[in-house]
Amino acid sequence: MPGIRVVKSRDEFEGEIYESLAVIDGTDLAAPPAGTEFEQIGKPRARIDGTQRVTGRAVYTQDIQLPGMLHAAVLRSPYPRARVKAVDASKALAHPGVRDVLHRFNSPKAAFRGEETIFREEVRFVGDEVAAVAADSAESAQAALALITVDYEVLPHVVDLEEAMGDGAPKLEQSGNVFDAGSLKRGDTRQAFKDAQAIVEGTYRTSTQMHNSLETHGAVASWDGEILTVWESTQHVFGVREGLRAALLLPLAKIRVICDYMGGGFGSKGGVGKYTIVASLLAMRTKSPVRCVLTRREENLAAGNRSATYQTVKLGGRDGRITAVEHLSWSNVGQAKWVANPTGPTNTLYDFENLNTKSYRVVTNAGSLSAFRAPGYVEGTFALESAIDELADKLRIDPLALRRRHAGMAKDPRTNKAYTLNRTLECYSIGARAIGWSKRVLGGTKGSTAHRRRGLGMATQIWGGGGGPPAYATVHFNSDGTVILRAGTQDIGTGTRTVLAQVCADELGIDLDRVSVRIGDTEGPYGPISAGSLTLASVGPAVRLAAKDAREQFLAAAAGVLETPQRELRLEKGHVVSKGARTPIADVSKKLENNTVIGKGSRFPNPELSIKTFGAHFAQVEVDVRTGEVFVEKIVAVHDIGRIVNPMTAASQVQGGVIQALGFALMEERVVDRGLGRVMNANLEWYKVPTVVDVPEIVVRFTDRPDRKANNLGAKGLGEPPIIPTAAAVANAIANATGARVRHAPMTRARVLEALALVDAT
Amino acid sequence: MSLFSYARPKALREALGLLKNGTVALAGGTDLVTLVRHGIARPDKLVDLTGIEGLRGWSREKGKGLRIGALTPLADLETSPELAKLLPILPLSLRDAATPQLRNMGTVGGNLMQRNRCWYFRDESVPCWLKGGTRCFAVDGESRYHAIIGAHECLMVSPSDLAPALIALDAEIEFASSLGKRRIKLNAFYIAPTGKQRKEHAIKKGELITQVRVPESALQRRGTYLKAMDRKAWSFALVSVAATARISKDGKASDARVVLGGVAPCPWRVPAAEKLLEGTELDDNACLAAADALLANAQPLRDNGYKVTLARELVRRALRSLVA
Repeated sequence: MPGIRVVKSRDEFEGEIYESLAVIDGTDLAAPPAGTEFEQIGKPRARIDGTQRVTGRAVYTQDIQLPGMLHAAVLRSPYPRARVKAVDASKALAHPGVRDVLHRFNSPKAAFRGEETIFREEVRFVGDEVAAVAADSAESAQAALALITVDYEVLPHVVDLEEAMGDGAPKLEQSGNVFDAGSLKRGDTRQAFKDAQAIVEGTYRTSTQMHNSLETHGAVASWDGEILTVWESTQHVFGVREGLRAALLLPLAKIRVICDYMGGGFGSKGGVGKYTIVASLLAMRTKSPVRCVLTRREENLAAGNRSATYQTVKLGGRDGRITAVEHLSWSNVGQAKWVANPTGPTNTLYDFENLNTKSYRVVTNAGSLSAFRAPGYVEGTFALESAIDELADKLRIDPLALRRRHAGMAKDPRTNKAYTLNRTLECYSIGARAIGWSKRVLGGTKGSTAHRRRGLGMATQIWGGGGGPPAYATVHFNSDGTVILRAGTQDIGTGTRTVLAQVCADELGIDLDRVSVRIGDTEGPYGPISAGSLTLASVGPAVRLAAKDAREQFLAAAAGVLETPQRELRLEKGHVVSKGARTPIADVSKKLENNTVIGKGSRFPNPELSIKTFGAHFAQVEVDVRTGEVFVEKIVAVHDIGRIVNPMTAASQVQGGVIQALGFALMEERVVDRGLGRVMNANLEWYKVPTVVDVPEIVVRFTDRPDRKANNLGAKGLGEPPIIPTAAAVANAIANATGARVRHAPMTRARVLEALALVDAT
Repeated sequence: MSLFSYARPKALREALGLLKNGTVALAGGTDLVTLVRHGIARPDKLVDLTGIEGLRGWSREKGKGLRIGALTPLADLETSPELAKLLPILPLSLRDAATPQLRNMGTVGGNLMQRNRCWYFRDESVPCWLKGGTRCFAVDGESRYHAIIGAHECLMVSPSDLAPALIALDAEIEFASSLGKRRIKLNAFYIAPTGKQRKEHAIKKGELITQVRVPESALQRRGTYLKAMDRKAWSFALVSVAATARISKDGKASDARVVLGGVAPCPWRVPAAEKLLEGTELDDNACLAAADALLANAQPLRDNGYKVTLARELVRRALRSLVA
């Protein structure tokens, strides 16, 4: 059996391929073939922590209360751009209950994402951190903020994407506001457009969507002079630990980060936040635990967002095919140094021969982007998939038929590597049947009441979700036969605890309630960020190997206790089974007293193939052509994500993704006053998220075939795929119903009415 | 949030005695608490009215119409089967107002007195005109939710769902103060703020709303309420319309009222537009003529032209439904 060795691995994360090392041990298992029956995997299982959650016993970061805990409040810039020339905190320090005030002139250097300090000299958006107060009570801390005097030199600013792209805007960087952020060329688009029989060209816009996790960002830090312990609502406990190391220059072994329960992240809680460093610095200075949790308003100013985009798509068609593609995209990133690339889907979703895509990063004085559930792909798919329907109409081809000619290929068009599995065409067939696509007619049909039109639309989705190393797990038996599974991951609300317990229980042949899952703690072995739809595909295979290792070791020990050769023993339904006897696991472990076995497992590298997830959404909508009201009646969501470990939590992911997508499609939109640079709807009153009444019938379907080449479970990720194609499917359905093409998401009343006015659909 | 003292009197007289400068009346608190929390209202003292029993509930007095106590929870009107028969427009107007929880807490008097939802007004750090500043930021700012008509220096819109419905019923509002009682048309209670009157409500210092009265004549009219929102629930109106009219046996309309919410600083009514409906069968042409007269002076801003389209169609639908 091979021992520890280093190999190369290629992993995909949020549309980009990364090469990395993998340290592996032993040999991997083969993924069980299709049709394998499990006790747990593939069975709907309610969340094992569901009772804790719904009874309010689950402890979230915001619930943490420590003896002597102080409360931090953050002073934020009221200006979109200004130089902080001086800070006078003397009155704040004199305020009753105030223990400490931090600002750029008294704070120790604390590196944060490439900057030397968390308090910038030049604040760059309304909400940028200027100072922080720690006080005995939240009220005292809040009151003290008003007593801090800051001398600002106000500088010219720009918050709007298209203004920042223009010549008249103030230059925020020396070279301007617009930066190249990647391009791709295939074939000869110039010739292909020349030869095209039909060309469509459109400008598409998507507004800034904000995460608005139910639990806002925040941390509670406690310093005992030796160990810094931080509770944080995060998608990556190890990422927070690394961020704290870089900021505070403490050894990793002296930092512990815990995220037990979490109220949502959607990409925005990917690593250390300024609030984490604020809480930690204040805790170390005051020698008291410090809680720093954002308010809803702060959440909507300084906790990240999905970039607004301005995109142009030009498609050429000939002989019933899409022969030329040009997709240019500009993203409002705030001050971020990266772009979530909206041209990603255009580059990879179809076998386009002639293609030219470019993506630009535009800096502004609005709050920065952070990853948001399929960043870039949601925005890009809206533009691309809308344009394809526009071309299909012009070519007089059914839009699904047009897509079929370009989808479902065996090779990744960007890397030329073979896909491990691509069942896009099956997604199309399942979805078309479920929505009744054959009844779709050009121009839509009459709606349920006067002035309403009904239509069908669809769109396709591609995303990664293959996961990769490093990820680790350990499994050990207790003396009563129960099992503790530790894994380096966290449950960001997707049901990670439950699906990992299922994988572990199946490998050990025990019931789900015999497995206790310990995650969300850097005291365990390393695991990856819960983002990029990679948690299950990364951690699940390691858990399987850890359980297999524990099983084999346990059987070896059982062989000694039962005086039977190990090769004759197996674990099955809670028993050690031999030819003639069935002994409960608990009886064996009892005999072992507190001698135990510890199984360990690690994630093996990915094959030299392209691992992707695919899917298609179909929408049935009605549109009131006089009032612009959109009624989404039904969404059929079909996904190809390999083996389904838990159909119940998987369906829940899809429903959540579709609902969040409908928010993006119809109502969610950050509104920033251009003069003031302020977010006017930094609340849940005017920033609209869907209510339960806005949720249509959602039909969830999976191809449910194991992707056996991907990893030893044959399972891929699902967190992001279901948010990707919904908005385009709805836009296409609106266009089918009314003839009106809405090219700006969210498709609000104003925008729908404006598009309707152009086609006179009344 | 500023510090304030708090009193919860048991009798109206006692409450009236406490209403001095810097004192603010608290009923359900669904608006006031947020105003205080965001630093828009800074009362020295809160007088909690919820201990006063006589101001709760509604009743019908034969020949004298309807009397609705100011402290009646909105939910009581919304869910009353008797009211649904007697004046369906009232439960209809409340059906999409806020959420069930807010309707349980919110009161009739508080709903009529609620302050506007303009995001410049509600942002403590924006020195908008209504808060004593020099200009309205919506004029060249983010104006999708702002007024299209009837505004002067301030472009906020009247947010209440109940007010247009009650005005379409010719309701009156009654105040009490230590000096006595006063009753005015509800229509006159709403002010489009101007330099002379930089406020939204015609209530005087020391006054409390005690009740709303709907005249008997209004009970003879059919009525309906339509509301357009930017999602299916829990939103203030983009545009709403309350319409009432007496419909004769031969299908002719008389005594029509059409009141718009969400488009102007006050619930928006134009009597001349209503006159156009007199004697008609509320056919499409008559309804649209009235709608056009109602919106004749509309001056949409950069972002809110859609409200004109919406209002026109909602008026047509509401009036048509009275004869459907």
